[in-house]
Amino acid sequence: MSLATLVQSLADNKQLLGLRYAEWCTAAPTLEADIAGAAMGLDDLGHSRVLHGSLRELGEAEAERDPTSPEQYLNVAYLDHPWTDWSQFVAANAVLDTAFTLMIEALANGNVEVLRSRLRKMLQEEHYHYLHGRSWLRQGGSNPEAGRAFADAVEWFGPEGGEVDQFHQAGQLAAGVAGLRSTLGERVACAPPPVPTDWARWNPLRRRTRPGSIDSRTFEMLRGLEEKRYMPVGERKDG
Amino acid sequence: MATFSRVHQQVRQYEVFARKARDEPLRQVGSVVAPDDDLAQAYARATYDEERWVELVIVPTAAVIRLWAPGEDGSGSG
Repeated sequence: MSLATLVQSLADNKQLLGLRYAEWCTAAPTLEADIAGAAMGLDDLGHSRVLHGSLRELGEAEAERDPTSPEQYLNVAYLDHPWTDWSQFVAANAVLDTAFTLMIEALANGNVEVLRSRLRKMLQEEHYHYLHGRSWLRQGGSNPEAGRAFADAVEWFGPEGGEVDQFHQAGQLAAGVAGLRSTLGERVACAPPPVPTDWARWNPLRRRTRPGSIDSRTFEMLRGLEEKRYMPVGERKDG
Repeated sequence: MATFSRVHQQVRQYEVFARKARDEPLRQVGSVVAPDDDLAQAYARATYDEERWVELVIVPTAAVIRLWAPGEDGSGSG
């Protein structure tokens, strides 16, 4: 697996995270959290665009996706389905968003010039996602969703001695798996320790053990099919 | 499931100040309500970042010491 595939997974996850945030931007417990959800969603969709745009400079044009297969999206299982409870938003915001930020930090502090220069602004914006998630996580008391998010983050970082550690040894990433895991634990002090992962079932491309993929409605939205339903009949094109 | 109340149990108000150029004074642009400094920062940034401020700060309203208010004579001149 190449560094570009890791960046593509980061970009796919950011796109879905942005979408899931947006789904909550009229349903959060307070109006302020609605607005913050919308702002964070916009941030993450923008980050996804920049990351996807970096793939070419990384020497790898973005792979053609099978337009009929949602499994082409390299996302963690936590983002497969819309969240039905605010505690799921909070856990994703506090734990998963922070896990992706740690990888962005590792890339921005690594030796790949295009990523060093392009990823800085994301870290400034992500600081506010972190403050938002941390505060809400503290307020909610025990949140079992945080454990699920943490387990998915551990899977997404991958096994020790795997390619993330190889990228770290080559200087492309400023942190390896052990460092990423421990820093995530420190930053989201409320989260329980990660569950052991069955690495024999781990898919190195999708960076997850669980099968499954994004729900069909989300997939159709990503493909632009949901929006087409609202187009005037004469402007619709097949596909 | 974790429990979240629709309105936070204990909130503080924060005044939001900003300026667009270094040679401008900070001016009050609004306020936010949040249970802690972390969330107040996140809310202030999300709500007020549409303009290109060179500086954005928040201050707990409770930290403001008012010398006098409109209608009160606090000038000391009688």
